[in-house]
Amino acid sequence: MLTARPFYRRPFFWAVSAPPLLATLVFFVGPLLLLFYVSFMSPSSTQLFGNHATFDNYAQSLTDSFMLLTIRRTLGVTAAVLGVCLVLGYPVALVVARMTPRRRLITMMVLLFPLMISNVVRAYGWLEILGHDGLINLVLVKLGVIDFPLRIIDTFQAVVIGLLTILLPYMIISIANSLTAIDRSLHEAAESLGANPLRTFWHVTWPLSSPGVASGLMLVFFLTLSAYVTIALLGGVRYKLLVSAVFDAVSTLQWPQAAALSFILLALALIAGALIQLVLRPHRVQGRG
Amino acid sequence: MKKFGNFVLMAITTLVFILLLGPLVIVIVTAFSPSDSFQFPPPGFSLRWFFDFFSRDEMRSAFTLSIELAIGSSIVAAVLGVMAALSTARSGKRISGVFQSLYMAPLVFPTIILGLSLLMCYRYVGMPVLAGLAIAHVLVGMPYCYRATFASLQSFDYSLDEAGQSLGASPLKCFFLVTLPLIWPGVLSGWLFAFIVSFGELNTALFLTGPGVTTLPIEIFGFLQFNGGQLVVAAASALQIGMILLIVLVMERAVGLARLVRS
Repeated sequence: MLTARPFYRRPFFWAVSAPPLLATLVFFVGPLLLLFYVSFMSPSSTQLFGNHATFDNYAQSLTDSFMLLTIRRTLGVTAAVLGVCLVLGYPVALVVARMTPRRRLITMMVLLFPLMISNVVRAYGWLEILGHDGLINLVLVKLGVIDFPLRIIDTFQAVVIGLLTILLPYMIISIANSLTAIDRSLHEAAESLGANPLRTFWHVTWPLSSPGVASGLMLVFFLTLSAYVTIALLGGVRYKLLVSAVFDAVSTLQWPQAAALSFILLALALIAGALIQLVLRPHRVQGRG
Repeated sequence: MKKFGNFVLMAITTLVFILLLGPLVIVIVTAFSPSDSFQFPPPGFSLRWFFDFFSRDEMRSAFTLSIELAIGSSIVAAVLGVMAALSTARSGKRISGVFQSLYMAPLVFPTIILGLSLLMCYRYVGMPVLAGLAIAHVLVGMPYCYRATFASLQSFDYSLDEAGQSLGASPLKCFFLVTLPLIWPGVLSGWLFAFIVSFGELNTALFLTGPGVTTLPIEIFGFLQFNGGQLVVAAASALQIGMILLIVLVMERAVGLARLVRS
């Protein structure tokens, strides 16, 4: 056994591990703790926050009828996005998983490319398609189906479509990854025992792909909650979600309120994550997700 | 029955790809339109909106700042990410699990909350705008560098490192002559991903940009919210898409498609 060690072990271990650790603690963990602290402080008109502790920031947000409507709306949009993502994403993942490795690689690349483009560009693309003078209204008016342009943006549907197209690739990729890991002989076994394709899907494919479905759903949920720009552009001032409320609180300088709303947002994400785990129970399945 | 099933699968797949790529195609097509507002199909071909883009000071400076920020922050993120990967790749299972989730956390954490918490901190200590923005971009890019390098280190044979040192190379020399060249594809793809992420970063930048210090995505967002309809936004968006396409081609050349998809 050689005693030589790479330099990133001793004696340089701390020189290598300290900078990234410090950066993460100081600029990620630290600010979050400060935010958590501020969420329990009274508001102040001259400073970031006042100097006595209170639960009011949470209590007010959770009793205010407009805020409750916003939270319900957020959950509604998220549920719709999750549902449609699953219904459209799963079949695509099945198709991708059946491809030859070379074609799968190219398809994955096509799926990844839109993810690399900034959300604001993709939301702008939807504005040009769904907007007042957008593609759909242009075509419908020209064909004589309608006389005046429809109002498509600033609605529930527009927000869902915008979010859907941002999040579908995440869903497809995580399901496809767990589908390709399934041993093909399991399908053959099920079929040779007389199961029809539907039964095979329900008893073999679906349970084995549940880790991918669970991680895809969780990712989509988390990203939906913070997709402010898409929601602001396609929902406008009429259709606001919880993340818009955080933003509005910041622009009116109500820091403790904004902090409390952020943690309500985070709590929703964690509860939803736990529920998804509970329903799909992906840990029953060995293998990658 | 089976034929029908396949037909449904293919129909849904086609629909999904139209939904994903449609908005991008529309943006690129209208960027080259000579008309004043959105028309489809465009009445001709012109570069007038690109000239318009570069003649606006605020757009041009946002574009330059975005490129500078992406280069600077992705380099710092790559260095920190490699250090983090090296320090966790071979330590004990339980400890490295904790650090791994710490380093990967900014990837799944709602970035809007990250942006808000940084803004509050910066207000508290009086951080200059540009430095604060750069730190946020580093933070958002770091997990990508960490993950890609970490994956490369999994297949790295540590006895090569020991061989180098037993032949008399100093630990540092050994890292640069043996380890780094072998894990380079992972490092490079993480670095380029950090560049891409920084170039499109919105959620933290929304809080952290200030007057005179604006990135291209934020400039586009502001323009869409307050000015609306002008097609100069299409040109700005097309430049964004073109830039990313360029990086992807570089990546494909340098590290191959397979590694790109995996990271």
